[in-house]
Amino acid sequence: MGLNYYQIKKNILRARKLVIKSTNLAGSGHPGGSFSMAEILGCLFYKHLKFDPSNPSWEDRDRLVLSKGHAAPGLFSNMAVAGYFPETELETLRKFGSKLQGHPDLKCPGVEFCGGSLGTGLSYSIGIALAAKIDNKNHHIYTIIGDGESDEGQVWEAAMTASKYKLDNLTAFLDRNFIQQDSYTEKVMPLDKNLEGDNISEMWKDASRWKTGDKWRSFGWNVIEIDGHRIEQLNSAIAKANATKGVPTMVICRTIKGKAVEHMEDNPQWHGKAPDSDIVPLINLELDSQFMIAPSIIAGDMTNLENEVKRCVNGRADYIHLDVMDGQFVPTKTFDHNKIKELRPLTVIPFDSHLMISEPVKHVKDYVEAGSDIITVHAEVCDESSFGEIHDLLKQNQVGVGLAINPDTDLPEWSYKFLPTLDQIIVMSVVPGKSGQKYIPETHEKMAKLSSILNERKFTGYIEADGGVNLENIGSCFEDGARAFVGGSAIIGQTDVRAAIREFREQVLQSRRRILIEKAHHLGGSELANKWIGLHIVGKKKDQLIKIAKEENLI
Amino acid sequence: MGDMRTEYVKTLIELGRENQKVVVLGADTTDSLKTSGFGKEFPDRFFNVGIAEANLVSVSAGLAVSGKISFASTYAIFLPGRAVDQIRNGIAYPSPPGKKGLNVKLVVSHGGLSVGPDGGSHQQIEDIAIMRVIPNFRVFIPADTITVSKLVRLMANEYGPFYMRMARSKTPIVHSNSQEFQIGKGITLRDGSDCTIAACGITVRMALEAAETLQQEGISCRVLDMFSVKPIDGDLLEKAARETGCIVTSEEHNILGGMGSAVAESVSERYPVPIKRIGAQDMFGESARDNEISLLLEKHGITSFNMVKQVKEIRSKKL
Repeated sequence: MGLNYYQIKKNILRARKLVIKSTNLAGSGHPGGSFSMAEILGCLFYKHLKFDPSNPSWEDRDRLVLSKGHAAPGLFSNMAVAGYFPETELETLRKFGSKLQGHPDLKCPGVEFCGGSLGTGLSYSIGIALAAKIDNKNHHIYTIIGDGESDEGQVWEAAMTASKYKLDNLTAFLDRNFIQQDSYTEKVMPLDKNLEGDNISEMWKDASRWKTGDKWRSFGWNVIEIDGHRIEQLNSAIAKANATKGVPTMVICRTIKGKAVEHMEDNPQWHGKAPDSDIVPLINLELDSQFMIAPSIIAGDMTNLENEVKRCVNGRADYIHLDVMDGQFVPTKTFDHNKIKELRPLTVIPFDSHLMISEPVKHVKDYVEAGSDIITVHAEVCDESSFGEIHDLLKQNQVGVGLAINPDTDLPEWSYKFLPTLDQIIVMSVVPGKSGQKYIPETHEKMAKLSSILNERKFTGYIEADGGVNLENIGSCFEDGARAFVGGSAIIGQTDVRAAIREFREQVLQSRRRILIEKAHHLGGSELANKWIGLHIVGKKKDQLIKIAKEENLI
Repeated sequence: MGDMRTEYVKTLIELGRENQKVVVLGADTTDSLKTSGFGKEFPDRFFNVGIAEANLVSVSAGLAVSGKISFASTYAIFLPGRAVDQIRNGIAYPSPPGKKGLNVKLVVSHGGLSVGPDGGSHQQIEDIAIMRVIPNFRVFIPADTITVSKLVRLMANEYGPFYMRMARSKTPIVHSNSQEFQIGKGITLRDGSDCTIAACGITVRMALEAAETLQQEGISCRVLDMFSVKPIDGDLLEKAARETGCIVTSEEHNILGGMGSAVAESVSERYPVPIKRIGAQDMFGESARDNEISLLLEKHGITSFNMVKQVKEIRSKKL
């Protein structure tokens, strides 16, 4: 499909919601494993996979084999979003007469493999890959296996076979979520270095213990190890895999079971259980409340931006905000597309180029070519025609489209027609042009007003808070509706960027938890609030939730 | 006498020349099965996946779903006996629109007790039972090399999953070259009116010998080659039941669940008559050198002598 970063994210969100809806209606199913591979499927379906929903058996299509077949709700949901069948069809999941069986089945056109019996999908994919070689076909075979599934000996039979036949048209993904049906994988059958003690849920955080990649390397595979929830890392891994000749590729995706819903995350209980109906609206609200944190590197050492980029990457920023200033639209001058081009090879992390320049329509192409993932231009220097030109150019190049407004600017009416396809709106909370300013408090009011317009006009992108965002005000920015947060000196100005970002996240999570408890209480009184809090059994989340709920008198 | 494996591969190579879609897979028994001969002529369409039968089955399925006609071969004991999950969920169950199962032909050698010296661990006496309860699978047990050749052609031309079990040892020719073979159609090799012996595989020859002996004693015995165990030829069996009044079955397989069971199931529903099943009496086999295999079979009652005996006994039980 070739969508941009934000569109892929949006579709993944849609698919996650469908997983919740369909497993809830079915009364059973596997949401946990569907969520751990959500980004893997998202990147395949919406960027890399060649397919035609109106002709599912098109001979030259790429093949997607879901070997970990229990995650069928994840596959079906993405197929619906990708256009194979209407989303309402998901309501028939696991029901009598449905083509959406409990496990993937050829009964559903577009499904390539009957899953259910684990450990067999990779061998099957080898068969498909061999057939493609015999027929001199160029399509690619993508196979997703699980880590629990890797207990099956046949996986390793297949590992040897793919290597023997040099199947470079085969790319496998290991959804390494560390959980299988009974418990954590390392307790049931360790794949990595043996862990002593009981602190297994923490284990995946210690990279020195990851040995699974070595296993695959020793079987002769090209191995790429990534964070399986980061779209840019997946995209880069898939591109590398496709370019690798003479060997098959294994992408080891470190993932979290139940990712994106706090009470499901890393919780073995959610391997194969459907959410209750009263919890579904809370899950949906939580899914709608995903957020991103982006340091702005101009707040750092301008003489060594290369180093600042590295600090952001190591600090686990979601993306990097690049403030381009031309000395005309704003009094200050920072850097232009040439600098971005220089920084681009350092990382695959998304670059969010915020163009504070006059006549952006004249220059936007340079910023596309420099490797921006999203480009935001100012409403003050655009009109319907020039923004339309920018919008189309960016979409064609799979670059996200953003529109920024200054503190004293209202969203112009000409922009309304673009809102449904806009990826980002930046609401400046300082006057652009210099760093180190204080957040303008009136922005809260402005955001509230804006929110209703955006809802009405079917805006589904991210609202980005930019300017003076810090630990004190980030929570209220979130409550205003912001879902992306640019941190200047509050992040990049700190010695430990990773800790600063973690604190930012924690602060947003606190606000989010508060909103969710309030919602639970609103929907079902203290009974539902208690029930929802009780689902959070992993880590310290539960204590925090109880504390918030007591403060607010909700339980 | 003819060697089934030699005939199998001779036919496969002919098919390989005629049809680019034919692919052949093995699991480190390709010299024994002789499928390596196909590999010599068609190296791009021949895959040896090593001692990995589960893998063998699933890779065959992947090739088949991509439009190939997969022939996967090894010893009987290592396919139904070892990889039944891959066979069931990977070949029989997946059904592309309008089709039943995938286009994989599992052709095994070394079926039954006549495997000989390798012993009980290698004597597959459960495969017919396993394979015939899996929906979408069709099951053949050829009696001679003429049958092998014709059935391999038939399977290649007929979409869907098949299981065919060959014997290790050379087998006498019982059919003529002009004999036609159809799915679900047994063959009447000898007519008779007093009793029927329904046989398959190496026991077909024994049945013909038993009928000859019985003839000399004035008993007219019909002999059927039930090479198509599934689907079984219910019409032919009903006719035999009506016309001869009793049936003896014979196979080198456990009497539980084998061809004899299939015959009993069909006849008991359509025209019940007394039936006696000859085969392994729910007991495993054991080692026997090639010149002792007849002793091993005799231990389980799989001889023409026993067939004669059973025919005489069952006649007295006619309704």
